[in-house]
Amino acid sequence: MTRTLAIAQNTLREVARERVVLVLALFGLMLLMGSQVLSPLALGEGRKVVIDFGLAGSSFLATILCVFLGSSLLHKELERRTVYAVLAKPIRREEFLLGKFLGLWVTAAMLLGGMAVILLAVVTVAYHDTPWQILGAVGLNLVELGIVTAVVVFFSSFTTPALTAFFAVAATVAGHFAEDLRYFASQGTPGIRAMVEAAYWMLPHLDLFNARGLVVHGASVGVERLLYAFSYGLLYVIGMLILAGTIFRRREFR
Amino acid sequence: MSQERDESRRRPSWMAGIKPRHALAEVDPLPLLKLDAVVKTYRDPMTLKPFTAVDGVSLTLERGEIFGLLGPNGAGKTSTIKMILGLTRPSRGTILIEGRDPWDPDARRKLGYLPENPCFYDHLSAVEYLDLVGSLFGIRAETRRARSQALLQRLGLGAHARKPLRKFSKGMTQRVGVAQALLNEPNFLVLDEPMSGLDPIGRSEVKQILREERERGTTILMSSHVLAETESLCDRVAILHGGRVLEVGSVKGLLSSGVVEWEIGLESLTPDRALALRAQGHRADSVGTRWVVRVGSESALQSVLGELVRAGIKIGSVEPRRESLEEHFVRALGARREGSL
Repeated sequence: MTRTLAIAQNTLREVARERVVLVLALFGLMLLMGSQVLSPLALGEGRKVVIDFGLAGSSFLATILCVFLGSSLLHKELERRTVYAVLAKPIRREEFLLGKFLGLWVTAAMLLGGMAVILLAVVTVAYHDTPWQILGAVGLNLVELGIVTAVVVFFSSFTTPALTAFFAVAATVAGHFAEDLRYFASQGTPGIRAMVEAAYWMLPHLDLFNARGLVVHGASVGVERLLYAFSYGLLYVIGMLILAGTIFRRREFR
Repeated sequence: MSQERDESRRRPSWMAGIKPRHALAEVDPLPLLKLDAVVKTYRDPMTLKPFTAVDGVSLTLERGEIFGLLGPNGAGKTSTIKMILGLTRPSRGTILIEGRDPWDPDARRKLGYLPENPCFYDHLSAVEYLDLVGSLFGIRAETRRARSQALLQRLGLGAHARKPLRKFSKGMTQRVGVAQALLNEPNFLVLDEPMSGLDPIGRSEVKQILREERERGTTILMSSHVLAETESLCDRVAILHGGRVLEVGSVKGLLSSGVVEWEIGLESLTPDRALALRAQGHRADSVGTRWVVRVGSESALQSVLGELVRAGIKIGSVEPRRESLEEHFVRALGARREGSL
C-alpha cells in the first residue's frame, strides 16, 4: 500500500501543479460568486438557484479535471518514459495504476470539496442559513467522480489521450441518461433491445448520484440511497480497475 | 572449524553423508542473473510482421562483476535489459534474478536501474524524486532522506537538491539517474548507457562510483557505446549483433590474443635507416627526441631487432601493443558481416 500511496501522492502533486487546476479553481470561485448575481432574477428563489448552480458547476469542473487531465496522465508517462524507471522498482503494475487512480480522484475531490466549502460559506453569508444537506449531494458527487476517474484510467490503459477523453465523456454523458436508455431498449426490436440492454448494464448509472433536485428543495439525501449509491460506485470502480489492471499488466514497454 | 565439530556432534550418524543446508548454499550459490536461450519477438503494430530483437541470448552474471553489453544500434541490448527489468516478457526462454522471475517485484527489491537518456518527473525536485523512489523501495522516511542527501552530495548535486528537475541539464539529469539507481543500496545495478550526457569530469566521477560499488560487492550490468570506458571498467563483456551473442568473455581474455603490433623505442635513428625501415613496410616516427619503430608481426620484430643491433643502434624498449576493445569490437562485427555475406 505504501507504494500505491507514493504513486498517488506523486500524481496529486503532478496534477495539482498544472496551471489548469488553478484556472479551474478560479473559474469555480467566480461561478459561485457569480451565481449571486443571478439570484435576484429568481423571484425569491435565489437560495435554490445559488445551490443548484453551485453544485452543478463544481461537479462539472471536477469532471472536466478528471477527464482532461486524467486522459493524458498515463500516456505522458509512457511517452516521456518516466514509467520505465518507476516500474523497474519493486512495484506491481496494478499498484501503479491504483496509485494513479487515487491521485487523480483525490485531486478532483479536493477541487470539489473546496468548492463545496465556498458554496456553504456563500449561502450562509447571503441567506443566514447553512445548507448542510448539500453535503449528502457532494458525497454522492465524490463517488461519481470516482467512477469517472476509473473509466478514464480504464481507457487510458490501452488507448490514446484523445480517445480516452472521447470515451470518458461519452460514458459520463450516457451514464447520466442510463435509465432513459433502458426505456428506449424496451421500445426497440429484440436485437436492438439486447444491444441497448447490454450498454445499459455496462454504462455507469450516474443518475444515481445526482441529488441536486433534493437538496435544492431543502431535503436531505436518505441513508438508504447513500448506502446503495456508495456500494454501486465501489463495485463499479473495483470492476473498472480490475479490467484496467489486467490490460496494463499485459502491456509491453518497447 | 569448531562450529563444524559442534555440528557433527549434534547430527545423528545416519545423516553423516548429507550436507547441512547452509553448506549446500555455500557450495552452489544461485547466479545473480541467468538468461537461458532468451528470445524476444515483436510484431509491427501496422503490418503485424514479426521482428526478432533478441535471438537466443544465454548469459550468466556472477556476483561482484561488472559486465558490459556491447553492440551496435539494434543489436538487442536495450531489449535484453527491458526483459531483465520485467518491462517486457521474453517470447521464449527464461530470465532469473537470484532464482526469481523479474516479473516478481521481490526480484527487483535489490536492483538499481538507470535508463538510457533518463527522463524523470519534471514537476518534482531532485529531493522529491528520490523520496518517491525511496517510498517505492519501502525505505523508511528518515533513512531515505539521509541517503538522498548523501547521494546528491556525492554526485555534486547538493546545491540543486530543491531545484525542479525540468531545470536540470542533461548531465545533471544523468546524475539524478545514478542517484536513484543507488538509493536502495542495490546488489545488482543495470545501467543503460551510464556515461551518456556526462562531461569528462562527470564520467570520471561515475566510473569511480561504479568501482566503489563493485568493491561493495554490487554486480553491475552496463550497456555502452563508449568502448574505451567499458574496457577500463568491465570484467567481462558480451558482444551482441542482430539479437545474438557474438562473443562473451573476460576483457583480458578477449584481448589477450590480439597483439596488433610491436613498438621498438630507440634513442636515435639516422634518416637513412628510417627510410630503409619504411621501405620494408614498417613505421618509423620521431617522437620528441626519441624514435618509435612499429612492426606488425613477431617474425618481423626479430628481423628488425637483429638489423638494429648489427647497426649498433641502442634499443630503449620493446613493447607489444594489444588490440583495444574498440578494435576487437569492430573486427568481431566485421568478421560477422563477412560471414553472413
